[in-house]
Amino acid sequence: MATKHLSPELLNERRLEAVRLRLDGHTVARVAQQTGLSAPTVSAAWKAFREGGWEAVPVRQRGRKSGQASSLGEREQHILWRLLAELPSSPLPGWSSQALAEAIAAETGSEVSPRAIEHWLAAQDLKPTPLALAGLARRRSTPGRWYRQQVQPVLERVRQAGGDVWQGGVRVSPLGEQPPDEPRRYQLYLHGKRGALYTRCLPAPPMAEAYLALFERLLAQAVGPVALLFHGAWFQASPEIQAWLKHHPELHLINVAPNLTLGSDPKVR
Amino acid sequence: MTTLTHLQRLEAESIQIMREVVAETENPVMLYSVGKDSAVMLHLARKAFAPSPPPFPLLHVDTRWKFRAMYEFRDRMAEEIGMDLIVHINPEGVEKDINPFTHGSAIHTDVMKTEGLKQALEKYGFDAAFGGARRDEEKSRAKERVFSFRTAAHRWDPKNQRPELWKLYNTRKHKGESIRVFPLSNWTELDIWQYIYLQNIPIVPLYYSAERPVVERDGTLIMVDDERMPLEPGEVPMMRKVRFRTLGCYPLTGAIESEADTLPAIIQEMLLTNTSERQGRVIDHDSAASMEKKKQEGYF
Repeated sequence: MATKHLSPELLNERRLEAVRLRLDGHTVARVAQQTGLSAPTVSAAWKAFREGGWEAVPVRQRGRKSGQASSLGEREQHILWRLLAELPSSPLPGWSSQALAEAIAAETGSEVSPRAIEHWLAAQDLKPTPLALAGLARRRSTPGRWYRQQVQPVLERVRQAGGDVWQGGVRVSPLGEQPPDEPRRYQLYLHGKRGALYTRCLPAPPMAEAYLALFERLLAQAVGPVALLFHGAWFQASPEIQAWLKHHPELHLINVAPNLTLGSDPKVR
Repeated sequence: MTTLTHLQRLEAESIQIMREVVAETENPVMLYSVGKDSAVMLHLARKAFAPSPPPFPLLHVDTRWKFRAMYEFRDRMAEEIGMDLIVHINPEGVEKDINPFTHGSAIHTDVMKTEGLKQALEKYGFDAAFGGARRDEEKSRAKERVFSFRTAAHRWDPKNQRPELWKLYNTRKHKGESIRVFPLSNWTELDIWQYIYLQNIPIVPLYYSAERPVVERDGTLIMVDDERMPLEPGEVPMMRKVRFRTLGCYPLTGAIESEADTLPAIIQEMLLTNTSERQGRVIDHDSAASMEKKKQEGYF
């Protein structure tokens, strides 16, 4: 097994074992064979032992120690919640981590990285992952049939016309039971190119106007037609949305069929 | 000597009650509400009289507002089992188009369920009606006897109930009186689920979690089961993973958010829950002692 796939505990155990074997007089090649480590790793462990004794053999903890990550202060978090409840002032269909970072910098003067905001969104359960559509066309299952019959032809048409394909949905966060003082949030979200997230949060289930604002902004920034796979809303029951769609044929809205187990795209996290 | 498990004891007790009713009454009927308790009761009835079908018909007092999945399940079960299924809808309620939205849950329940049941019992002359109520469901049901006597006007007097010591049931009744019999009285919700699991009893799919279109009404998740459900202006139903712990008229039955889509998962969820299954029933919250009032007036 390659060293990089070993847990730190197991790797340290093997490094210590490698040093013991080297002390017993075994060659680097023989020790590497016995411990499953690579020859350079055995040599590195042996070198560390010679220079610093047994304490120097184990590798140091990988990555940043827990609690050392740059966390957002209370003020920034408060601003984030407030911003997420509004539509962005830019024509974006929802807030991206970049736009949120810029808005915080403009308001507080302090730098917050988009990555820190993405971590914060994930910690608040506000970072849904896009649906795994790749490979669906070849699957002989209900999701596969749904994709071939209802999704693929539309996506091909839109791509041929030079349009964009988006995914999106509406969800409740956090799911399940929550403490009574914690508010329920209804999250509207979109995934653009390479899974980029655009989102906003509402205190109550979104009404038709919230969805229509999202669709209008989506169309406004597009150069061609737009295909949108949307999960979590039952638009057939909304006369307002049906009427709007009739007047905007450039938006191809595809409802993700309920109870389809599509999974999430493992490449986009 | 083998020791019975607690479910086998409950099963034996229920079967004894059913046989007692058939032996002691002239024209019994089984109320079939299509829910999980009805499913268990029907299963027990089939066991009690096997290999013959149970010697009584099924009666469904329909309100026209049950979930579509319940109607499909009801018709399928009646066909599979080969029992007579009587469906009664209060014709006066149909004529006046009584519904939960314009008339409210209290009037809808009174006209379509309570009056409908009384009409059906009188129309067919039934003198005993099995029901799937359990003591753990609700406080007024907890104090009701297994054999619950009703006056000729179908009224229940909770202060005048017969003792049922050592499970000896006194089935004598005056002319015009009838009995409501509850063979599942001593079962709990968990017993029901365990029995359904062990006996592989078919139930309406609505009990399993799935994505369904719902809207929120005063904190309750109501499923939009058909186009009759009026939506607020601009309202868009959300697809949420929900299931039902209890089934009734769809506009009056709250769903719970759940991931439990198998029987073991439902049982596990049951073990962790600390709320009553009827918390999702809007009709139980109409007014204080709501269920007891309804029962006194003849509600099942």
